[in-house]
Amino acid sequence: MNEYKYEEIEVGQKESFTVTVTEDMMSSFQAVTGDINPLHNDEDYAVSKGHPGRVVYGMLTASLLSTLAGVYIPGKNSLIHEVKIKFSKPVYIGDTLTTEGLVEEKHDVYSLIVLKVSIRNQKGDKVCKAVMQVGVAD
Amino acid sequence: MTHSEIMEKVQRIFREVFDDDTLVIEDSTNSSDIEDWDSLEHITLVVSMEKEFGLKFDLKEVNELANVGEMVDLIASKL
Repeated sequence: MNEYKYEEIEVGQKESFTVTVTEDMMSSFQAVTGDINPLHNDEDYAVSKGHPGRVVYGMLTASLLSTLAGVYIPGKNSLIHEVKIKFSKPVYIGDTLTTEGLVEEKHDVYSLIVLKVSIRNQKGDKVCKAVMQVGVAD
Repeated sequence: MTHSEIMEKVQRIFREVFDDDTLVIEDSTNSSDIEDWDSLEHITLVVSMEKEFGLKFDLKEVNELANVGEMVDLIASKL
């Protein structure tokens, strides 16, 4: 886990990590949230809606933003204030997602950074984009 | 820039931050007048002011502000 202090972070700095979405992740997410929507849980239903298989929960993909801030940039000293997010393309089980955060702004008054985030699948398609406002604790 | 010119820009920022095109602020407006004006929105307001007016505040300055009028005065003192 990174432990960047506010002063050590620079505008333009990037951090990224890659994970593959598994069946277990989907089951765990359903258990935590209680979201039993068939698009995420019923293969036949998802296929009937034009997908090759069950669609990964958008908020599961979004949960990678928590990891980006809490583990990578700034890491241990992260305090997420705000997230604005868009889901550009569906994600499917087995997709490998690369989450990349770019430090776009720093605001000294509150030791705050603004991260521009993209999440891309193994084909390079952007499946999610977000802007995060993250405080950096002392 | 006059007090009223700054106030006009500040009002626009408040409307954007609180997503309310009808919001009208005055010098005496403070956080108790706007339900959604919590500590996180305050941070958003201060950062938005810095960007709009191209200036920097320090934490002590913004913590001492009692209302919008004082915020406008602080901005005016830095322009």
